Amino acid sequence: MRLTLAAIGITLMAGTVAYAQSGPFDMTPERQDLPQATPPAEPVPSPPEPNRAAPAPGEAAPIAEASPPTAARRYLLPFPDLTLPGEYARRPWSIFLTPEQAAAKATVRLGYQNAIIVAPEASRLTLAINGDRLIDAPIASPEKNSSLAVEIPAGTLHAGLNELELTASQRHRTDCSIESTYELWTQIDPAETYLSLEAAAPMRWKRVDDIRAIGADDEGATTFNLIVPSMDQAASTQLTVRLAESLALMANMPNQSFIVSDQSGSPATEGQANVVMGVASDLAGTLATLPPGSETAPTVALVDDPALGSSTLVVTGPTWSMVQAAIDGLAHQVDRPIDVQRTSLATQLWRSPDVPMMFGATEAKLADLGVTTQEFAGRRFRTDFAFGMPADFYANAYGEFTLLLDAAYSPEVLPGSHIDIYVNDNIAATVPITAYGGEILRHLPIPVTMRHFRPGENTVAIEAVLNTETDKLCAPGATGLDNGRFVIFDSSEFIMPDYARLGHTPDLAGVGGTGFPYNRLSYPIPLIIDRVQPDTLSAATTLLARLSVAAGRPIAVDTTASVASIADKNAIFVNTISQIPSTVLARLGVGDEARSSWGETVASIRPDTQATFDDWRERLRGSGWRGQASRFQDWMDRTFNVSLDTFRLFRPATPEFTPGGNDSLLVAADANPAGTGSWTLVTAPTVGALQEGVRELTGYASWGQLNGHISTLNPVSGGLSSIPASGHAFIQTQPFSFRNYRLIAANWLSSNALSYALVLSALSILLGLATAALLATLGRKQ
Amino acid sequence: MRKLLMILLWAMASAVVIALITLPINIETQLIAGMSVLVAMMILKLVRPTGIWRLIALAFGTAVVLRYVYWRTTDTLPPFNQLENFIPGFLLYLAELYSVLMLALSLFVVAQPLPPRPSRAKLNDRTPAVDVFIPTYNEEPELLANTIAAAKGMDYPADKLTVWLLDDGSTLQKRNAEKIGEANAAEQRHAELQKLAADLGANYLTRDRNEHAKAGNLNNGLAHSTGELVAVFDADHAPARDFLKETIGHFDEDPRLFLVQTPHFFLNPDPVERNLRTFEKMPSENEMFYGVIQRGLDKWNASFFCGSAAVLRREALLETDGFSGISITEDCETAVELHSRGWNSIYVDKPLIAGLQPATFASFIGQRSRWAQGMMQILRFRFPPMKRGLSIPQRLCYASSTLFWLFPFARTIFLIAPLFYLFFDLQIFTASGGEFLAYTLTYMIVNLMMQNYLYGEFRWPWISELYEYIQTVHLLPAVVSVILNPRKPTFKVTAKDESIATSRLSEIGMPFFFIFGVLLLGVAVTVYKVYAEPFKADVTLVVGGWNLINLIMAGCALGVVSERGERAASRRVKVSRRCDFKLDGEWLKATIEDVSVNGARVLVFGASADAFAKGSASAIRFKSFADGTEGVLPITVRNKEVTSDSIAVGCYFSPNEAAHHRLVADLLFANSNQWEEFQLSRRGNPGLLAGTLWFLRLAIFQTYRGLVYLGRAIRARGQDPRSGPVGKVAERVS
Repeated sequence: MRLTLAAIGITLMAGTVAYAQSGPFDMTPERQDLPQATPPAEPVPSPPEPNRAAPAPGEAAPIAEASPPTAARRYLLPFPDLTLPGEYARRPWSIFLTPEQAAAKATVRLGYQNAIIVAPEASRLTLAINGDRLIDAPIASPEKNSSLAVEIPAGTLHAGLNELELTASQRHRTDCSIESTYELWTQIDPAETYLSLEAAAPMRWKRVDDIRAIGADDEGATTFNLIVPSMDQAASTQLTVRLAESLALMANMPNQSFIVSDQSGSPATEGQANVVMGVASDLAGTLATLPPGSETAPTVALVDDPALGSSTLVVTGPTWSMVQAAIDGLAHQVDRPIDVQRTSLATQLWRSPDVPMMFGATEAKLADLGVTTQEFAGRRFRTDFAFGMPADFYANAYGEFTLLLDAAYSPEVLPGSHIDIYVNDNIAATVPITAYGGEILRHLPIPVTMRHFRPGENTVAIEAVLNTETDKLCAPGATGLDNGRFVIFDSSEFIMPDYARLGHTPDLAGVGGTGFPYNRLSYPIPLIIDRVQPDTLSAATTLLARLSVAAGRPIAVDTTASVASIADKNAIFVNTISQIPSTVLARLGVGDEARSSWGETVASIRPDTQATFDDWRERLRGSGWRGQASRFQDWMDRTFNVSLDTFRLFRPATPEFTPGGNDSLLVAADANPAGTGSWTLVTAPTVGALQEGVRELTGYASWGQLNGHISTLNPVSGGLSSIPASGHAFIQTQPFSFRNYRLIAANWLSSNALSYALVLSALSILLGLATAALLATLGRKQ
Repeated sequence: MRKLLMILLWAMASAVVIALITLPINIETQLIAGMSVLVAMMILKLVRPTGIWRLIALAFGTAVVLRYVYWRTTDTLPPFNQLENFIPGFLLYLAELYSVLMLALSLFVVAQPLPPRPSRAKLNDRTPAVDVFIPTYNEEPELLANTIAAAKGMDYPADKLTVWLLDDGSTLQKRNAEKIGEANAAEQRHAELQKLAADLGANYLTRDRNEHAKAGNLNNGLAHSTGELVAVFDADHAPARDFLKETIGHFDEDPRLFLVQTPHFFLNPDPVERNLRTFEKMPSENEMFYGVIQRGLDKWNASFFCGSAAVLRREALLETDGFSGISITEDCETAVELHSRGWNSIYVDKPLIAGLQPATFASFIGQRSRWAQGMMQILRFRFPPMKRGLSIPQRLCYASSTLFWLFPFARTIFLIAPLFYLFFDLQIFTASGGEFLAYTLTYMIVNLMMQNYLYGEFRWPWISELYEYIQTVHLLPAVVSVILNPRKPTFKVTAKDESIATSRLSEIGMPFFFIFGVLLLGVAVTVYKVYAEPFKADVTLVVGGWNLINLIMAGCALGVVSERGERAASRRVKVSRRCDFKLDGEWLKATIEDVSVNGARVLVFGASADAFAKGSASAIRFKSFADGTEGVLPITVRNKEVTSDSIAVGCYFSPNEAAHHRLVADLLFANSNQWEEFQLSRRGNPGLLAGTLWFLRLAIFQTYRGLVYLGRAIRARGQDPRSGPVGKVAERVS
């Protein structure tokens, strides 16, 4: 997610600020009256340790006080954290409500904390539901979490998807520099941000479709407890995976996981669902009462169970094939024929609108991508939009798309300001503002490199960095001035050209982005797992469910295939490393010694040599001619991205990878031995680490970082680190066309620059010889 | 069949290359490919810059040029909705495309210049009757005398050779002019030239009216003569003794041959060479045309008539009713017409005539204006690229020759384009500094290297650009006017005998100083911008660099328009011929060291220096090269100098009868080998790097010289506001 990714740097930066916040705000004398003279009325400070399990009604705003203690909560954030950074941040997403929930009397509550340097009188936080701006309050809670609560007018909510929009407009208290805008943040507390629905009844689901309203818990997570009493029966495994995939596609939450067990559990809480699956006769020990008809026909029903609680989903039938029929009935609702391309990625539940897929030459108005016309008075404006790319996108080396920017800046804005385009948080283009006196940019074409594109969801951010004379002087109160300096119009356009399309493996980004190549197989994909190990099965189910969401259709699996039979097929391996055959490890480039060494405790964390070197180089970067030379070198690097690798004709094979002590999970992909498909391996030292690791991996923040040949999850440093592939096997995905092959050649030659030079030289020699031959036959000779 | 196969093969090779070039590769790949091509071309140049290797190197260069064009077309044009950027941006783009088109046509024309044909002088060819036409309008009789004498002196049976002096300066129309003074002058000229022609054994011919200028004059000659072949010499183009020997035989080899053209060799420097002092060491401007381009045209049977120093077949001329006269360049026009009727031409690459260049910058520009306007008229009225009857190669060749004269438009745009950015902040070329480096810089270097490959020996780096720039300033209005009024321009004879005795600024030199000033201001703005607007310093530096190149060119041009005074009126040619020097009635042994049209330097042995009085009349006696008979030529002593074993005497010729002119012509023109040797002595390829450094040094010095001349002129004007030509006063002050 864009905001979370962007937030990484900012939260790091803000870390020190946060520490300092508990102390009294140190102000220069002349501004003492500014921030605290008029304490904002709306925010009500929460107690320092909010009790999430049983919120005391007294801590809420006066209107919330009226809600009875039985009120049910529907958490709004599908993430563990949401930070609104910078001077302007906007976050639209949707939640799914059942008709009963929509009809209930509801209060919305928003919990947040902000950076201490955010000026409350010039900063506002808003929350709109279905276009109704319900909360619009100064941002004034630097020291602890505060909650804002507003009763939702009747008729605002409706059954199905409801659109939410959070915006934060923030200004620094004293500093007018661009750098200071990076210190601005407001963090939304997921546990304190929810709909409070009067009476618990609305939380009961009445229809199977209400599963879509599962939502998230107070940490943004969604959990399905799959209870399969007869999970040791071979027939159950495939059905478990398929059921999980169907449920995942229905709920479509960004952080969802599955826990498979054969035991009954406790009632489901917020963001959870209990699902019982099996042949009716096997369920007797688990459920108090079976849904009617389950002894005779495929049945999918919601039951209230004394042990498992209300709204427990039961999928059953008299025989396994009837159970399968029941699951197919669910899957049918979310399936998509293999030959139908999706036009968009279903992202609404974490980012609306749904992200359109760009399969080739496409033009789109930014308005249709969710960007609004926006006037801006600060110094760093940022807005973004998203779109989806297929996994066979093969234009990262040469490709450029065009942004036709409609914008304007006022005469106040000085040359030296610039508009930057970020793709997936990498800078991809810069347009310097060079004219004095303001300008209206009408469809200004900005070519932007596709280098940072990845399969699946991509975000493009437009950031305007505005320097003005006023900011240089920075008189008191200057940060909060409301004179519009910049405006972006939603009539701007996004022009995607035709680009080369060729599938390639290994490419974990493709696996994560759209489930490629498993998203378009005509046969059930062999899934090699330890079927009876609940943790392993949970991991595999969670993984396949995530892949299905990425693929946009349930992925059929075959859990009975043997390793020997899949040399020429696509396959997925999920198991502890000691259970993975060494031939498979070798194929995927993982060192065999990892089977024994991985998981041993490591005495110390080894320092990062490269980072230390870079740090020292930075410190020793002097002035004088050497400094100039290295500045030129930097410019060359930045401009041409030329490295020694560029001059390599043949890349050496990468050595086998052995996961290090801190890595908790390893994902590897490579072509199968026959070179006709792709194998993917997910492994960890222990089953516990495997289950926990996959849960973390499939979380929204990590999943998008899958990349390259091997990715490892490191809970200590947080996030994934990846090893790029040294070579690719190509998978043709499009029927042959000259146009496509021309673009494929362009991309291949662009990523192998020396090859282009060689081919060009060879052809030039050929042309020279042909010319010589031609001249020998034409014209006069002597 | 084989031809078709080869064309097909070549087309396929080109298609593959173009497919590769039009791949939308990224910038680092372009940078590496560009660098690789540069290195490859350098290596090829060092190893073997000829034959098939030359073609391979040119193919390399073509690849880079095409990549530039592809990038320029797809990536750099300003957006259409910014008209203030788009219009100048598109003009610049057109100018660049024009340059690339001209490069492509040049590549075709000089793909494989024919090597010089073997000499025919020793062959016993048939000797058909030849009429020699010497058209004249206003040239001095002395000049004509040399030319007629040289023409009569050609090695050819006398009964087959008729020399015609075609005088257009004393036609009936002129003699009956309303202005009595002019009429009297024409009458006097009429009588004088009639006598001169009679003395030298030539036929004098004039006509009633000056219709169709030179073409009409030549056609009058055709009407009065009958010879099978016609040789044409301009009034100042004296042929060497072997001119006909080297040319006539070709007509028997090919019955459809209508033209044998030979190069124009000049004894004196053109104003540029004179003012830059490059005549002795650098190949002349026209050597590129006669040394490479005409040979290239010859390969495609498209060598064309250049108005003089050529032999034509009467039968062919009669088919088109003589020389064509629609345009003011009747020569090329006649050739187009005859080529389109299936007649052939060849080019003999040996200097067989020696002529004079226009003396002043103004007359040089006048000459070039005529060529440019004439070629525009041919383009307008004949349009060679689509002319029926011409072969495809001929069409391309003529397209190259005529379209070349559109260069003033492109040059003007290149000159002012950077100023749009520097002065008005217009973004007419949307590219980053990095892209300039990867595309434009490689393209420019490759372009220079290709020029060096094509013309290296004959044209040093940056000289083409300099010549084009100095002509552009005055040619642009001339070309525009002929495009607007294609029938208006009239034939103006280029003056070649003006006085250049004093150092002065050219009367048409002022615009160059103005342009220089504006460009200098551009440099100042560049420096200011780099510091004041560091956020776009990369683009500013690139555009500023471009402007700086323009400034260097403009600075060098200041030297061109600062006319140097020169003592020796015309170029001396080294000869080394034995003679006797008459001193006080006694003949002393002597050697003629060098000669010019006006005089000679003679080493006299066995005499004391005191014996030679300045201004005393004397004579030299020598055997003529032509027929071995001895002749005596009167001289006047001008100066003397004592050397180790002899006394070097500088003297003027004092010819007072026709026979004396014959002797002067014999000294000067009889031996064409000496001209070839002189040309060869200047040829040599300094290479791109050394050539560029040399040009830079030249430009800096000439800028200084130009500014000094300007300073003198301004001071002089301040002292005497009524004074006339700046130059004379400048001379007095200095």
